[in-house]
Amino acid sequence: MHRILIIDDEDDIREVAALSLETVAGWEVMVASSGAQGLARAATYQPDAILLDVMMPGMDGPATFRELQKNPATAHIPVMLLTAKVQATDRSRFADLGVKAVLVKPFDPMSLSQQVADILGWN
Amino acid sequence: MGDGAASQLSDAMNRLWEKFLPQMEGRVATLEDAAARLASGADLTQVALGNAAADAHKLAGVLGTFGLKEGTELAREAEGLFEGVPGADAATVARLVAIADGLKRLIAGRRP
Repeated sequence: MHRILIIDDEDDIREVAALSLETVAGWEVMVASSGAQGLARAATYQPDAILLDVMMPGMDGPATFRELQKNPATAHIPVMLLTAKVQATDRSRFADLGVKAVLVKPFDPMSLSQQVADILGWN
Repeated sequence: MGDGAASQLSDAMNRLWEKFLPQMEGRVATLEDAAARLASGADLTQVALGNAAADAHKLAGVLGTFGLKEGTELAREAEGLFEGVPGADAATVARLVAIADGLKRLIAGRRP
């Protein structure tokens, strides 16, 4: 069973994404409501992948990703950014960070897990 | 995914919708209030404009997840317009008022 960590300050998005991945794919989901909490949980739980929101108060998604990369305990974990920004310039800027993928919100709860699996080669 | 799991997900999504409905209505109220104040000629602070743009951004990110793709598009448009204020002309302000009204109707009309 795959283990996913969702880092998002918005509780509705966290709960919908968790519900989707648990119900549709049967994956184990952990959540964090801030970048700082996400760093700690990633190091402790060693998820197979991380879904990371871009816009968060305090440490935002890109800053959280950079911290994950600095830590040898988490640098190997593939990260997919989640963003409601749809402009190509924004998505290109996020992709340039070195993340595995940039996923756009809103997502389809029925197909989110398949999207993640395709990106990570879990099929 | 089997029909059972799809039905289970749909039921759970409807429960989440009910849970988060007050939060979404509150976000729309923020947009509605900001638009109404602009329409009345009031100057909004940068903080108030930022809050309206942020709530529009959050709505854009979540409404489509619950099947309200039109809501996502409206909220996305509102986010861009609020980010463009100050200096908004009367047509822009009228559009913001209409978007807030449209979002209220879409959210109130969502059916499982």
